[in-house]
Amino acid sequence: MPPQANSPLPTGFQLEQYRIERQLSLGGFSIVYLAYDEDDTPVAIKEYLPNSLALRSEGDIAPQISAENMPAFRYGMKCFFEEGRSLAKLMHPNVVRVLNFFRANGTVYMVMQFEHGRTLHQYIQKHKGEVRERFIRAVFTRMLNGLREVHSHKLLHLDIKPSNIYLRTDGTPVLLDFGAARQTLLTGQAFLKPMYTPGFASPEQYGDRESLGPWSDIYSVGASLYACVVGTAPPRADERSKNDTLTSLSRTHSGRYSEQLLETIDWCLALDPLARPQSVYSLQKALMRKQPGEAMPATWFTDIGTRLKSFIGRA
Amino acid sequence: MKFTIYQESRIGKRKSNQDRNAYCYSRDALLMVIADGMGGHLHGEVAAQIAVQFIVQTFQSEATPTIADPVIFLSQTLNRAHSAILDYAFDKDLPEAPRTTIVACIVQDGDAYWAHAGDSRLYIVRRGHVVAQTRDHSRVQLMLDQGLIDAEEAARHPGRNRIYSCLGGSHAPQIDFSRRFALRDGDVIALCTDGLWGPVGDIGVIRMAGSNVMASAPRLLDEAEILGGKTCDNLSLITMCWHDDEQPEQADSVSTRTLALNDFTTRLDTFDRGRGATKEFDLTDDEIERAIAEINAAISKYSK
Repeated sequence: MPPQANSPLPTGFQLEQYRIERQLSLGGFSIVYLAYDEDDTPVAIKEYLPNSLALRSEGDIAPQISAENMPAFRYGMKCFFEEGRSLAKLMHPNVVRVLNFFRANGTVYMVMQFEHGRTLHQYIQKHKGEVRERFIRAVFTRMLNGLREVHSHKLLHLDIKPSNIYLRTDGTPVLLDFGAARQTLLTGQAFLKPMYTPGFASPEQYGDRESLGPWSDIYSVGASLYACVVGTAPPRADERSKNDTLTSLSRTHSGRYSEQLLETIDWCLALDPLARPQSVYSLQKALMRKQPGEAMPATWFTDIGTRLKSFIGRA
Repeated sequence: MKFTIYQESRIGKRKSNQDRNAYCYSRDALLMVIADGMGGHLHGEVAAQIAVQFIVQTFQSEATPTIADPVIFLSQTLNRAHSAILDYAFDKDLPEAPRTTIVACIVQDGDAYWAHAGDSRLYIVRRGHVVAQTRDHSRVQLMLDQGLIDAEEAARHPGRNRIYSCLGGSHAPQIDFSRRFALRDGDVIALCTDGLWGPVGDIGVIRMAGSNVMASAPRLLDEAEILGGKTCDNLSLITMCWHDDEQPEQADSVSTRTLALNDFTTRLDTFDRGRGATKEFDLTDDEIERAIAEINAAISKYSK
């Protein structure tokens, strides 16, 4: 039986202090809404609603969960809390901010800062094959600042992909969606199985979960970089492990992109975790350097500095 | 209470990990415990597991949020843990009761109290000097005390693993208790098994038990594991750095000020893989409310 699609809360629905405007996205695990708070500030609200376990028909508010699905539903809720816990501790301009967390309608909700812009996925779709190197380097270097913050809290994202990298209107990236990732960490639960997108998940995520680490997120960053250059995701890592059909970008795409960038992407996509950059910082260094020996543009550093200042200023 | 704590157990080069360790804290009391199940006897890991679990559970029922008398608590709980192991052996018709060493420490009102049986140790390190430590219940330690051998000989003595007190087994344990020990800001309490102190020695533990426990503890484990070489025993370590309440918040430190009166945070490491997830399958309404409160507390804490 294919999982049914859940109907979203209706426009104008008053959810605690928030007014639902419309559905932004629908995933297997949750629905994300655009809503306005009492000051009319837009927020993104994520509703925990796994469609294989909870059904909300048209016109209903509270989802229906059968007694038999209840333990699984609650278990998934735990994963949703995990995401809330991870995000609540992170305060970084390149990581989505959580503003509130509450329980209503028999399920739970996470309120996040709403950002204007579009996902990197949408950007790649629109500029297929024409994503400029300068853009790639700028977006990823900054996005990796956020990922560094994530790793420094001893967390892994585990679901990095272009559709989870949001580009604000000013071009700065924000890392989204820590939920799908977390739950894949809890293995053996068939009903909540792969939420990660094939092609972007590291080989460790398919098999040897003991060896998950920052290098696993780095594989996904590599796959996202690959998608910027090629326009599609690389072959699935589990299939690559059996029969590797990935040809190195430095052979197929040289000319349009600098050799150093293509080599960096190939480096991230190594099947052996130890053969990849071992930390986000080492990858950042590679992305900030155009030719071996050439200094990185000063603006990116000053940019981090001013952001840091404004961040501290707000505190 | 404010402190930073690190806990880890490693298997070394053995086939199984018979060490068990846990820490648990309420708003006003902290418990740390390490047990080293004795190999060479049956089911060492079972004894260690029973002891640690029993002590943690008792702590959770008695720390409300303080323990009435930490010394009496340690005395009663360790003796009862011994009985619990014997009961288990009786229930399962085991030919002999499994055995484990134990070292447990309670911190409350800025004072530490500890008790131990066997050769799992506790050290208190203040500015690089050891200010308190347990004495092993081993023959080697006795010989050392009597001046029959020196420290170097003790480290190489073939009978250095023989101990004469433990929980479980056929004899009642001999348990040593500390006096009340007043902690100062920056003091580090380290609990460890012989798999850790054996390879690095007193000097290694003292030198490496720095106040930045999040960094120093894994390094200490690394070093012991390397020195332990091909026959490296299971090694476990809990290190806790004590902070004055007035000290500013540090990145990894725990402040129990905001913990609810009847709330506990527990970390008990067990090593049976693949279970766990299903065991905690059910989430009660209470747990949901608590998780939400916790997340919102984190949101407001980090957005200020």
